[in-house]
Amino acid sequence: MAPRRSHAEPVPTATSGGATRAWRAAWRREPGRAAWTAIAIGSLCVMLGAWAWATRPGGAIPALFLPPPGDVAASFVRLVSRPYLGSTFGAHVLSSLDVVIGGWLLAGAVGLPLGIAMGWWRRARWIAFPLFQVLRPIPPLAWIPLAIVWLGIGEPARIFVVFVAALVPWVMNSMQAVHSIDGLLVRAARTLGASDRQILTRVVCRTALPTLVAGARIALGNAWTTLIAAELLAATSGLGYIALNASRTLEMGILLVSMLVIGVLGAAFSFGMQALARVFAPWSRGART
Amino acid sequence: MSASPPLAPPSARPRAAVPAALIVGAASIATLVVAWQVVAMAGIVPARVLPTPLDVALRFATLAVETFSGSTLEGHALASLTRWVIGAACAIALGIPLGVALAWLPPLRPVIAPAFELLRFIPPFAWVPIAVLWFGASTTTQALIVFIAAFPACVINAHLGVSLVDPILPRAAAMLGAGGVATLRRVVLPVAAPSIFTGVRIAFSNGWMALVGAELVVGKQGLGFLISQGQINDSVTTIMVGMIAIGALGALIDFGFQRVERAWLPWLAFGAKRAS
Repeated sequence: MAPRRSHAEPVPTATSGGATRAWRAAWRREPGRAAWTAIAIGSLCVMLGAWAWATRPGGAIPALFLPPPGDVAASFVRLVSRPYLGSTFGAHVLSSLDVVIGGWLLAGAVGLPLGIAMGWWRRARWIAFPLFQVLRPIPPLAWIPLAIVWLGIGEPARIFVVFVAALVPWVMNSMQAVHSIDGLLVRAARTLGASDRQILTRVVCRTALPTLVAGARIALGNAWTTLIAAELLAATSGLGYIALNASRTLEMGILLVSMLVIGVLGAAFSFGMQALARVFAPWSRGART
Repeated sequence: MSASPPLAPPSARPRAAVPAALIVGAASIATLVVAWQVVAMAGIVPARVLPTPLDVALRFATLAVETFSGSTLEGHALASLTRWVIGAACAIALGIPLGVALAWLPPLRPVIAPAFELLRFIPPFAWVPIAVLWFGASTTTQALIVFIAAFPACVINAHLGVSLVDPILPRAAAMLGAGGVATLRRVVLPVAAPSIFTGVRIAFSNGWMALVGAELVVGKQGLGFLISQGQINDSVTTIMVGMIAIGALGALIDFGFQRVERAWLPWLAFGAKRAS
């Protein structure tokens, strides 16, 4: 392929065929670990530098459009040092975590047994699966107005919406996990004299565990995303509430800090669940889905 | 998920014929609707809180011809669809080339990966407040949210599809005298196409969800706006009509994509990753 020219590396003079070939080959090779890290850090620094340069006083981008990195850092300090919108930053974060974990666990308590039953018993699947097929295309966010009319703008409405968002991945993954188990394992267990209950608990649930954990991870991700939207619409605390308020009062630094914290927590959930999968189901080779 | 199991599911009986499952499923849905109608009519909960399915159906018909909050149901749906297509099209146009480039030119990965991974975990709706400040309550704002929701799915699946191509294929092509571009166009992309297409499908579905959220917060038109107006007017029937329209449109488009996928890419879509 034609060599791509970048400013970071010397442009080849390409007088000899060998140099061109080496240049081409370099583009098709994964850089080593050290080079990888160096390029990654360099790329981040360049982006940060470009951000700072473009938003400098008198720069191309006004601070009201995108504040300079220094302002964002200052806003972070301001946010954690003094209460904002009635409570400390920690309390806002806790309020968000409260709802997301509550709704997620509630959905798991309903969805996990339901999904396993739907995967295991054909009749349960026949009855419940079509209902989910009908309800699934409705985005969880579309439930927010209904939740507000039904339950007001308090915490129950948010827990309900998070529950709806998390329920579908819990159910679908558990069902898939149990349903797709190799029938050979079940028959082998039966041949060895295992009862139905033993097969369900000792063979099926364990084999399905990696997929179940993957479902839990997706459910948590959905729950988090949905909660932020719910907090934008109906809340008196939480990170989404901070973000909406900061945008109304044009405190761009605080808005960006709240977005970053939302992103960091979302990433922490995802990586935490992956770590959990490695602890509870070490036999899963890599995380699927 | 894993490859389809070669043996029957553990119920130990042969797979049921489809009609029986269909009958039970239809009966299950019908029971739910009838139960809903009965509960709503019995007056245990006020009609303001839980209208009957019939009320909702009537409201659906009314909204289809009458103007509510600026336009008819079709008008709102059209506004949503326009933003959806604009945002998703931009995400596809930028995301797929980026994903292919990341897989094909490994040195690009460390350049892009840090920023991409940092931003990917910020949910699309968290961008709504800042997008409103940037572009106001406009179509651009909504399309930007759709773009943000759809972009990672395009990049990740294109990257995945290209990097899963058996390295023997490009080498064989090179040996037969194909240059880099020819290999990419004639060998790698066709093999990666199913995964890329799955990315497009996920992008549209993620974008639709995000759009509803964005329309709930800002805007003067669209299905999300319709249900938020239903909430303000305390009209549960309007909310439900909006929800049904959103779900039906989303399902319809996804169904269309599945048909297109089967027609254009009859070989199996493999290893596709859901980026949510």
